[in-house]
Amino acid sequence: MAKIVVCAKQVAQLGDEVEFTDDERDVDPDYLDFALNEWDSYATEEALQIRDRLGDGEVVVVTVGDEDSEDAIRRCLAMGADRAIRIDGEGVSHDPVSLARVLAPVVQGESPDLVFCGVQSSDAVQAATGTALAELLGLPRVAVVTKIDWSGSGPATVNRELEGGLVDVVEVDTPAVLTIQTGINEPRYATLRAIKQAEQKEIAVVEPDGGGEPAYRVRRMFVPPKGEGAEMLNGSPEAVAQRIREIVQERLS
Amino acid sequence: MARDPKYDVLFEPIQLGPKTMKNRFYQIPHCNGFGSEKPLNQAYFRAMKAEGGYGACCTEYCSISPESDDTHRVSARIWDEDDVKNLSVMCDMLHEHGALAACELWYGGPHAPCMETRCVPRAPSQFPSDFEHLTYPIEMDKDDIRYVQQLYVDAAKRARDAGFDIVYVYGSHSYLPQQFLTPYYNKRTDEYGGSVENRARFWVETIEQVKDAVGDDCAICVRMSTDMFMGEAGTQLERDCLPFVEMADDMVDVWDINVSGISEWGEDATPSRFYESGRLLPWQKAVKQVSKKPVLGVGRFTSPDLMVEAINSGALDIIATCRPSISDPFLPKKIEEGRLDDIRECIGCNVCISRWEIGGPPVICTQNATAGEEYRRGWHPEKFDRAENADNDVLVVGAGPAGMECAMILGKRQMRRVHLVEAQDDMGGIMRWVPQLPGLGEWGRVVNYRRIQIDKLKNVEFIPNTELDARGVAEYGAEIVVIATGGYWATDGRNGATHDTIPGADASLPHCLTPEQIMRDGKEVPGDRVLIVDNDGYYVGVSLAEKLADELGKQVTIMTHLGHIAPYMHFTLEAPNMHRKLHKLGVEIVPYQIPTQIEPGKVTSAHVFDEEHLTEWDVDAVVLVTQRRSNEALYRELKDSIGLDDLRSQGVTGLYRIGDCEAPRLTADCIFSGHRLAREIDSDDPSIPKPFIRERRVIEREQPSTLAGAAI
Repeated sequence: MAKIVVCAKQVAQLGDEVEFTDDERDVDPDYLDFALNEWDSYATEEALQIRDRLGDGEVVVVTVGDEDSEDAIRRCLAMGADRAIRIDGEGVSHDPVSLARVLAPVVQGESPDLVFCGVQSSDAVQAATGTALAELLGLPRVAVVTKIDWSGSGPATVNRELEGGLVDVVEVDTPAVLTIQTGINEPRYATLRAIKQAEQKEIAVVEPDGGGEPAYRVRRMFVPPKGEGAEMLNGSPEAVAQRIREIVQERLS
Repeated sequence: MARDPKYDVLFEPIQLGPKTMKNRFYQIPHCNGFGSEKPLNQAYFRAMKAEGGYGACCTEYCSISPESDDTHRVSARIWDEDDVKNLSVMCDMLHEHGALAACELWYGGPHAPCMETRCVPRAPSQFPSDFEHLTYPIEMDKDDIRYVQQLYVDAAKRARDAGFDIVYVYGSHSYLPQQFLTPYYNKRTDEYGGSVENRARFWVETIEQVKDAVGDDCAICVRMSTDMFMGEAGTQLERDCLPFVEMADDMVDVWDINVSGISEWGEDATPSRFYESGRLLPWQKAVKQVSKKPVLGVGRFTSPDLMVEAINSGALDIIATCRPSISDPFLPKKIEEGRLDDIRECIGCNVCISRWEIGGPPVICTQNATAGEEYRRGWHPEKFDRAENADNDVLVVGAGPAGMECAMILGKRQMRRVHLVEAQDDMGGIMRWVPQLPGLGEWGRVVNYRRIQIDKLKNVEFIPNTELDARGVAEYGAEIVVIATGGYWATDGRNGATHDTIPGADASLPHCLTPEQIMRDGKEVPGDRVLIVDNDGYYVGVSLAEKLADELGKQVTIMTHLGHIAPYMHFTLEAPNMHRKLHKLGVEIVPYQIPTQIEPGKVTSAHVFDEEHLTEWDVDAVVLVTQRRSNEALYRELKDSIGLDDLRSQGVTGLYRIGDCEAPRLTADCIFSGHRLAREIDSDDPSIPKPFIRERRVIEREQPSTLAGAAI
């Protein structure tokens, strides 16, 4: 029976306004909305499609975070994931290496055939957790995957996206860690019934193990100072267009 | 968020004679169907705009005398002390919000048909009205002139007593003072006719008398049309208006400047189909350059940048809005709070105006379902109670105008979860293709506003590309199900004239097409000669005619059973320019004809009043704009095949339908339908609208007896 572990993250989304916390090291959570990371919804969908295609198997979703972050993995459960595990995120640094360190023993304990991460999270945009996790687990990894062909055992054939629209088709032994790109599929929407059922599901909560020293520290967050010398063009479209024309003519002459 | 400093000028106070207006946002006089005889509806309607930040709000045109009675249309009236009492409610409520109250004193002359009072209006010269049928005025002698001027003075004093801060001597839209100024209406040879000084005399004298009577207490506003677009006959800016401004400027505290006469006042209240915002600015600027007094004026302003531009470019001192203030009474406040993406922008469809033209039902608005419902239904455009059944989940099927509105309002009423599920890849429904018709781009604001709001609501999820069948709906997991699957144009020629189909009409054939097939599905219109069968009478038939003739170079004929095409567009003021366009494009208009047979290459039609008289038309394609039908298959299957009992066993406690899915109608009414259901989702039976307050006189009889000598 094939088992796929999906590492999912609840990401923060910026609203119109942003304030920093008093220590200037983070965004004030009052100004944030939270949601399942977009890439992870594609990763979850891909795992579900493989499971459903094989007709057998298990999809386990793992996240790191506090109790509020369970909303994200409940969304994965509502989509159809079989189980969810939350590693209590208290005291765990948010850098990719620290996250990979606490994910690794939990993922290893599941003995999966495939491990999916999103290519990146939309808030931190580091694109490193999946790769760090593969290194810690000693597994092969393929990043930015846009297609997976796998029979349920043995090596998988996957497409990985390169720059300039190039695609690299590679064969990878399993177990392996794949980071999943958006657009690989069309993530399903959860019906209200599925959302309600997911609310009732038990989520296993485990203590973090192996976080260690953070790979980096945030020293200060601030709004970059406005550049000097910019001329703001206000007024009607005609007036703005006229001014742009003047500026271009000045520079050309 | 604080307001952007670049908008500061909009929030600077301004002095109008004896009064100070707190900012530059002014609600221009406009009708709402309430007048002075539904005084609480009137007061709540205007006060909502004051709450939304307007610095001053005006009545609609307010008649000064029974001989200026516009029935069948609804004006305000300030004829006596009881009218003063009624209108004082509006003044008090505006003052509570720190806004000034303005009263547009109006004498209509021949345009007021006096159908209720049976009085006879007076005018400079005796011509029947060019706007109203069969109304002739008395040609005024000097005594008539003194008499009418005294009517203005008496009405102005009553307006002051009611609490108004600004009093108009209103001329625009071809009313009495402007009639004197305009050769088209004024053929007099005495000192009130001929030269511009003479033609201006009545208006100047009247302003002087009103100023003497109330000028210490009230600002005097003069509303003037600066171009009637009628050549020599009409009012002209340089010949008439600028000299008049110089003559009256000392007495006037604020000018209200627009254009047009009454019979084509769509040149003033411009439909977005033909004009962009700010189209009146050149005329307003011309007056401002001559006058020493503040100038206000409309221009369907919804963009604060354009408002600032209008002021900074020296065209206006005060931004007046009519339709944008109906669409969003909180326009000033949203600019002040930096919430520009919350502004519900007017789309310029003019269905608000259509109600006045029809004869005075309450105002409606496509964008703002709460317009006109402030008092009678107690609806506030920006405030929403948490629904008593907010712990329920709602499924809305169909993201057209009704479905979007319903989902949005349910979201604002804090329902636990709202899923808006749509078969297509985006929201909008009919409003995805309607804005693609010529000139209707701004109508897309219906979708944009709701998309942005829905996106902000965390409890509302939009789910595209998902077509649910009845079983899927039943098992979706919602306690409340709202079906909003819209409607479609009949494919078989079914129509409201014959209450039958048209033989041979079949839109599955290449030569028969429906509006959606052309606009949404991209079905090819074969050949050169196209016949549009329009039994609908609003914008779709004529818009397709314009599109097919202009963009595809077709030779287009519109056939209708009615006496003229698109009669509803007379009410929206779109008709005159639509006719001009179609005429220029060579579109042939065939009234009083009904197709009796459609064949490839040929249509046969009968005259409505002579059924034996058949005519044959050689055409390559027939566009069926005959009638719409509800897309109710899903609702019927849920109600009839699955049944309410089975639905209840799935946990569905409420099944409703809204919008075109229930019965095809105006987009404004579809949006109202979705809004109404969401507002009343926690009522005893949400499918039945709750009663609203009918502001009417109720006879309290102490004893059950008939009046002496009267049979009741």
